[in-house]
Amino acid sequence: MKKQSNIDLPYLGFGLGLRTEHYHPIIETKPKVDWFEVLSENYMVPGGKPLHFLDKVRADYPVVMHGVSLSIGSTTPFDQAYLRDLKKLADRIQPAWISDHLCWTGVHGQNMHDLLPLPYTEETAKHVAERVKIVQDYLGRQILLENVSSYASYVDSTMSEWEFISLIAEKADCLLLLDVNNIYVSSYNHNFDAKTFIDGVPAKRVQQIHLAGHQNNGDYIIDTHDAPVIDPVWDLYEYTIAKLGAVSTMIERDDNMPELDVLVEELEIARKIAQKVHAPNITPVEPISMRVAGHA
Amino acid sequence: MNHLAQLQADFQAYLLDDAQGTSFIEAVVDDKKVGAKKRLSIYHNAYRLRIIEALATAYPKLNALLGDVLFDNIAREYISAYPSTYRNLRWYGNQMREHLLTTLPQHPIAAEMADFEWTLSLAFDAEDVPELTLQDLATIPPENWADLSFTFQPAIKIVRTRWNTIPIWQALEADETPTKPAQESTYQSWLIWRKKFNSQFRLVTEMEVIALNMAMAGATFGEVCESLECEMDEEEAMTTAAQYLATWLQEGMISAVKQK
Ligand SMILES: [Fe+2]
Repeated sequence: MKKQSNIDLPYLGFGLGLRTEHYHPIIETKPKVDWFEVLSENYMVPGGKPLHFLDKVRADYPVVMHGVSLSIGSTTPFDQAYLRDLKKLADRIQPAWISDHLCWTGVHGQNMHDLLPLPYTEETAKHVAERVKIVQDYLGRQILLENVSSYASYVDSTMSEWEFISLIAEKADCLLLLDVNNIYVSSYNHNFDAKTFIDGVPAKRVQQIHLAGHQNNGDYIIDTHDAPVIDPVWDLYEYTIAKLGAVSTMIERDDNMPELDVLVEELEIARKIAQKVHAPNITPVEPISMRVAGHA
Repeated sequence: MNHLAQLQADFQAYLLDDAQGTSFIEAVVDDKKVGAKKRLSIYHNAYRLRIIEALATAYPKLNALLGDVLFDNIAREYISAYPSTYRNLRWYGNQMREHLLTTLPQHPIAAEMADFEWTLSLAFDAEDVPELTLQDLATIPPENWADLSFTFQPAIKIVRTRWNTIPIWQALEADETPTKPAQESTYQSWLIWRKKFNSQFRLVTEMEVIALNMAMAGATFGEVCESLECEMDEEEAMTTAAQYLATWLQEGMISAVKQK
């Protein structure tokens, strides 16, 4: 794949994760949401309702694909059927982009169904970057990698998480999905300054932002996506977009699911923060090249 | 890559409880606030809870039938017996029937319930195919009907029960108190299919099962009629086969017709 930045990808504005509970209200009321993120694996099925509703939503909104089972950091070979079906889904729904997590989910053909952390070493970065290139070549497009929430770190690590992410992004020429809540969670769990993380990633590669709620257990935080975004995470979001410029932003909610209106309203908070930081030059169709030029 | 490969193998073995006295915990940073042991246990617990939740979602009626405590035990045994090889947890429960046949042989209704719930869920996202209607057949002259064969939708499955599994399923679905599990006098066959986007099921007679299996295997309408003649006279066989065909069409089970 030839060297390129993300100038081809659009700025989409403010989105939500597409969840089955909201299929009907989305199709019937066409809420004020600029785009939807879909969980790729849920639609890598032969047919039926999931694909039917996805096609309907896609007819009205831009869509991006977000996976959980690519296992980019695994040391055993890719599941070829997975890559094939991922591409097939992308051909069908023409997403603005495709993302997955910077983690591993299992080895030897098994899936732990969790986003497991990687040791932050040169060796791992090189390994992951090689695999990102394989996926990008196969899909014919750059992918986005998301930072995960983690609860453990390894004695082997020789660098910070943000140095690790930046190294992979540069080596593989891929893009980043910055999960601001995950940064908050990991900074709490591992005692680092969240702002240092944000300062440390290459701004021009950040194509998308995730926001979510979590569960604070006192001495550690679990990333549960079952509650509203908390104020310190909103503050961190404000810091992030002040630093990076306008980035397509969405709220993830996977559990304790409220009515769609509640999430649309929560998304207004993100819009207001962006307005405050970048006012008045925000329009959902502004291409990303403009913001890169403005904030490089 | 040896180092990373070893770390991942060790971590996975730890999650799966395959780690016999390994020192994987030494690979994890220890601290005063949480501690390496607790940090790892977050992953260990999450692995099980996530899968149990997925199984409960796939098998709500089995869960209700067994109660939460027994279902949780069964799910944990299942996790140990069948590590996931699926990209999506939605497919993970596909061996629950087999698992229950060996772990709960004293309650055969459990395996039947699992079989029924799983098969019904497979119809949910089975491949989309066109739906042939009676009108589509209207253009074919009656004298050619004997040579017609049909393609059926891939969602069609038949589940056999010996217990009052389906009445219990229906009561639970309707939020009513189900009757006690009891054995029926004979086996019953339940046809599962999808009409548009909704999974359907109904009781079928053994004769219809035979006719349907033949038709699904590619037999012509004439051949299906002939096979029914073992049970009834020629005219009655023809009428019965025609009724079956009309029902299958009405129920949206047939996707294409072919003339020999
Ligand atoms: Fe996220």
